[in-house]
Amino acid sequence: MVFSSLIFLFGYLPLVLLVYYIVPRKGRNIFLFFINLLFYGWGEPVLVTLMLVSIVINYIGGYFVEKRKPDKRRMRLPLALTCIADIGILAFFKYTPLICETLNLLPFMNISVPEISLPIGISFYTFQTMSYVIDVYRDDAPVSKSLVNFGTYVALFPQLIAGPIVRYKDVAYQLEHREETLEQFNRGVKLFMVGLGKKVIIANQMGAMWDAMLATTTPNGVLGNWVGIIGYTLQIYFDFSGYSDMACGLGNMLGFEFLKNFNYPYISKSVTEFWRRWHISLSTWFREYVYIPLGGNRKGVPRQIINLLIVWFCTGLWHGASYNFILWGMYYGLILIIEKFVLKKLLDKLPSAISHVYTIFVFIFGWVIFYFDDMGKMGDFIVGLFNFSDGLISADALVILCRYAVLLAVAVLASTPLMTTLYLKLRDKGFMWVLETVFCVVVMVISVAAIVNQSYNPFLYFRF
Amino acid sequence: MKKKLALAPMFVFLCFILVMTALFIITPKTNYSSSEKRYLEDFPETNLNTVTNGEFESGFESFLADHFPLRNMWVGLNAYYNYFIGNNSNDGVYKCSDNYLINKPTGSDNRIKNNISTVTKFKSAVDVPVTVMLAPSTGYVMDEVLPAVHGEYLDDYFFGDIKSELKKNGVGFVDLRSRFKKADSQLYYKTDHHWTTQGAWTAYEELCRSLKIKPAEESDYEVESYDNFYGTTYSTSGFWLTPPDKIEVWNNSNHKPGDIRLTITEGKESKDYDSLYFKNHLDEDDKYPVFIDGNHALETIKNKNVKRGRVLVVKDSFCHSLAPFLADSFRTVTLVDMRYYKNNVSELVKSGKYDRVLVIYGIDNFATDTDLVWLK
Repeated sequence: MVFSSLIFLFGYLPLVLLVYYIVPRKGRNIFLFFINLLFYGWGEPVLVTLMLVSIVINYIGGYFVEKRKPDKRRMRLPLALTCIADIGILAFFKYTPLICETLNLLPFMNISVPEISLPIGISFYTFQTMSYVIDVYRDDAPVSKSLVNFGTYVALFPQLIAGPIVRYKDVAYQLEHREETLEQFNRGVKLFMVGLGKKVIIANQMGAMWDAMLATTTPNGVLGNWVGIIGYTLQIYFDFSGYSDMACGLGNMLGFEFLKNFNYPYISKSVTEFWRRWHISLSTWFREYVYIPLGGNRKGVPRQIINLLIVWFCTGLWHGASYNFILWGMYYGLILIIEKFVLKKLLDKLPSAISHVYTIFVFIFGWVIFYFDDMGKMGDFIVGLFNFSDGLISADALVILCRYAVLLAVAVLASTPLMTTLYLKLRDKGFMWVLETVFCVVVMVISVAAIVNQSYNPFLYFRF
Repeated sequence: MKKKLALAPMFVFLCFILVMTALFIITPKTNYSSSEKRYLEDFPETNLNTVTNGEFESGFESFLADHFPLRNMWVGLNAYYNYFIGNNSNDGVYKCSDNYLINKPTGSDNRIKNNISTVTKFKSAVDVPVTVMLAPSTGYVMDEVLPAVHGEYLDDYFFGDIKSELKKNGVGFVDLRSRFKKADSQLYYKTDHHWTTQGAWTAYEELCRSLKIKPAEESDYEVESYDNFYGTTYSTSGFWLTPPDKIEVWNNSNHKPGDIRLTITEGKESKDYDSLYFKNHLDEDDKYPVFIDGNHALETIKNKNVKRGRVLVVKDSFCHSLAPFLADSFRTVTLVDMRYYKNNVSELVKSGKYDRVLVIYGIDNFATDTDLVWLK
């Protein structure tokens, strides 16, 4: 189930909110636990079992880690077993086809590639469960005393299928002691609306523009290609950050506070800064649970470089079981290493416009790698970005650009903190509630109209 | 007070989702959508099997979407919203000046070549003359009403290719482009992709000129006009505020009762009628079947007033409003719809002793049709 669907907005969500606030506080986690399973199992009920297995394994793992405290050496066994199980499940369900295809490249190998459908959200919830055992091991969080509470944490529907990756230590306390307030609920509604608007009004349309550009029968021209990939760049940001906003907003409605996942990444002036602003929960996870345990920067420069490459290889691979994601990860790994050791001082001195343009160029190029899983098509597209022989922009591409020009401008503007700055300035004014309410109504109406329209399929065949 | 007002977004949001949910639950469910011309989804079958394999869930989502309260209002809002932010034709239809709703152009990636080669192959299988006539697209003819920014209508390329390919193979072609471009009467509906009866008449005149036969007199017809026709482009577009079209029926005043006989054949059953116009359809949502009762596999029109001529027409629905005029030039007109007629047409031409074959389509249909390949 996705948030921007009728079934969520007009079926699941009203049900959850009504029952959640009717049930006495003590019963709320149990209710959440079961209702999360409905959310996750909707459409593919079988996969609920997998998630339950994962919950139980990690709960037991955490229990044994705790039990063997404070003997670090004895604690390592349950920790290692749990992590191996987590990574094993993830690897099996996500990477088996890729591994088989790769092995088949060897001349003497011929494995039939199994068809395994990827359980939604597995990359996200696996990272969450791993953070639990590791936090318990490190004494960063108390062991969970209730399987229901732990299960509620893992399966919490707002962040279950697309993040943010909530670390156990950040919500351990809230799981047992949160107190929902009206103010928080109201904040949640507003944040949810921002997210819904980002997803439905901007991201989907930018995606439609990108698809239209890819579907043209004549070459789009240099400018046409740039417009297309800028559309994709905006789509992926508004889609993902919109989803995170909706998740945080829904969390608020249920009394949770999650950490910010995106912080205007596209205004960054270096790639290092970009990754401090983009998908923050993922970068934090890799830093805390991979980079630092590997030794981080404490073991000399060569080791640090290797550590960075390992982290970025994993980051790339985490995004998808395909070579272009690994390439994408390594691309960022290398650029970050170069920035760290060479470019940093230069970037600090350069006028901010230049460092900004440099960063934009890097991340747009990154999205090209991210999008094309076919290396040939990727190459063709990259050539198309610089090849003026197809002209500046084709007639078809120009028509597409004109159709989406208004939204494109809105999207570029909305990817900067401009509106937020304005909002924070006006926030204490007496009339703000009017603007906020109007904003919510407008976003809701336009979004619902767009979602309903997806199902509107006039059957006109017999008229022809 | 101020603190309470600050909670307004929350109240509005909760009211909205709860009211819409309640409306969905309490409103009676219809099973047919007249604007979409299709049956709506039923409540899905509920048992352990359908729930575990996901059928129930996807069925329920379709059910919810199909029966969502005020569904058409939402679709309309979406259409106008997109129009106002400059994204005209979001659903494939341009909102044009003078209340025209016009389909987006057909792309260059299409089936025209296949369909033309089907026709030329067919030509060599029959020994009577074959003539093709295609209705240009509305957007090509009515380009002055199109929005400033629009996709290019490729009719000139299509017609150029088709013409030369047909000429090479000895197939006749009636090129309607220049006559249609010059006309000042309304040749196309504003809310439908078909030509109007006037458009069909104009095409008929051009066809007669090309075949060197004398057309009927325009003054012989009495025009009956009916209001409130909303066609296909209207339904697809969601621009609900567009005014309706008029649909015209042209009655030949020379016809006496019993002169005309229309035989409609579906499968092995045939039925006879004494009129080409089915006015019962004028009360329905879909009024276009007023012409020869809409789509059928095989229809034959006999006109006692005409002495000669047996013509077989391979056609799409553009021909429906044209057929009455053809019947005033040929004693026997047989219409074959390749979507439903699966027998051998060249044998039909021989056994029925037809002396001419016409292929009449709208260019957009001709470019996308996948059933013409059955023409053998």
